[in-house]
Amino acid sequence: MMNLLQDTQLKRNEVRRYITYAILSVVLIIVNLTVLDFVAIGNITPDLLLILCVWISIQEGQFIGVFAAFIIGLTLDIVSIDVIGTNALTKILVAFVAGFFYREGEAFKTIGSYKFLLIVFGTAVLHNLLYNFFYLKVSDASFVTFFMKYGIATALYTTVLGIFPMLSKIPRKGY
Amino acid sequence: MQGLIDFVIKFKNYISFVALVVISLSLISMGSINKIGGFRTIVIGSMGWFQEIFAWVPNPTAVKNENKALRELNLQLSTEVTRMREAVVENRSLRGMLFYAQKPEYPFETVEIVGRTTLQMRDYMMINKGKNSGLLEGMPVRTDAGLVGILIGASNNYGLLEVILNRDIKISAKCQRSQYSGLIVWEGGEFLLMKNVPKSYDIKTGDIIVTSNYSQKYPENIPIGEVIVSREEKGELFLKIVVKPLVNFATIEQAFVLKHLPNPEKSLLITEIDDKLKLRKLEAKKTDKIYFEKKKKTQTENKKQ
Repeated sequence: MMNLLQDTQLKRNEVRRYITYAILSVVLIIVNLTVLDFVAIGNITPDLLLILCVWISIQEGQFIGVFAAFIIGLTLDIVSIDVIGTNALTKILVAFVAGFFYREGEAFKTIGSYKFLLIVFGTAVLHNLLYNFFYLKVSDASFVTFFMKYGIATALYTTVLGIFPMLSKIPRKGY
Repeated sequence: MQGLIDFVIKFKNYISFVALVVISLSLISMGSINKIGGFRTIVIGSMGWFQEIFAWVPNPTAVKNENKALRELNLQLSTEVTRMREAVVENRSLRGMLFYAQKPEYPFETVEIVGRTTLQMRDYMMINKGKNSGLLEGMPVRTDAGLVGILIGASNNYGLLEVILNRDIKISAKCQRSQYSGLIVWEGGEFLLMKNVPKSYDIKTGDIIVTSNYSQKYPENIPIGEVIVSREEKGELFLKIVVKPLVNFATIEQAFVLKHLPNPEKSLLITEIDDKLKLRKLEAKKTDKIYFEKKKKTQTENKKQ
């Protein structure tokens, strides 16, 4: 009986978490397309959805992470004017890589440490590399320069914003 | 069967990853950024409505810059007005003498910028008019200063324009003074580059770059920018020309959509030739592949012998 009650409670928590992810995704997509320009530094904007994908993968694991990333990326592709599938693909890669850092029951430990920032930075670099690659034209010899200038800058900006979720999960010391 | 199920369960992460990557790649191969229709048009409309809500938020830096730009423009315009008045009188008499055939001027629609989206280094702007005002995909957008971009999508009441500070942009342009032409591209930052201009061409700092008559998308003689750097690079065949856009994209609030669409016959011809060239490349690749495979086979046979 106790086990059954615990199972129901666990499932409820799970559903609650998924609903939170869905609401967060919608809010972040709207923020991405509307108010993010106000914090743009010379055309460089942070990728808040990437942080969310990393968060989900670290907390739920690779399997759920890639599916969540696919849905988030595809939604972003639809509401933005990007070629459908580009953001879906890049976000899947992000979630897949971040999923390697999933440890059952230790998600907040990872998120609340500097490791989270390293994961965000690493996956952001990968994400931008793949994303910019789609727009690479044969005649463009400046891909490396372009990537170094913008891909790395965007990754750094995203990492800086990754500090906020990290701070929210840093374990507080009791007195 | 149980073995297969166990395999799927064991490698479900990798299998789902591969499956989703394949789906994404197929979606990419099917889609094109220039084809925005149906559902996405509705989305653009709704996003336009949403962005309009945030359009009232003032940007102090932009307002300051705009004031400065307007003061400068005011000064220039007052000087221009005096010159123009003289020119009108002169023009009237000269036109009569030369039987001057006037070039077509395109009707335009004044629009307001209600939203701006920077998506992975590509700038887009939302305008407050769409199909109901006769605006269609492919129409160029400009301000009094110069070229802003091109309309890439329109719903009934909103339109989406791709700004020239965009990696996908390639504009056929020419120098207004010397009439030498080149290709305007953007490779990041706030400036444009004019490419394919041989060292022998006379393009100097301060020259104004305008759209050329070779351009398929834009009408001729729309100002694009001013040359701020024109120098010869060692070991390069072409000049390095940096062009500063005449439009201040940070402060832009209003624009004009020119009701000009590319000549469909010309577009069709370009697409046909493009397709033919792609086919030719594919065939060449196939022949190369067959040749290398044969070569490899003979080499392995020779080794065996």
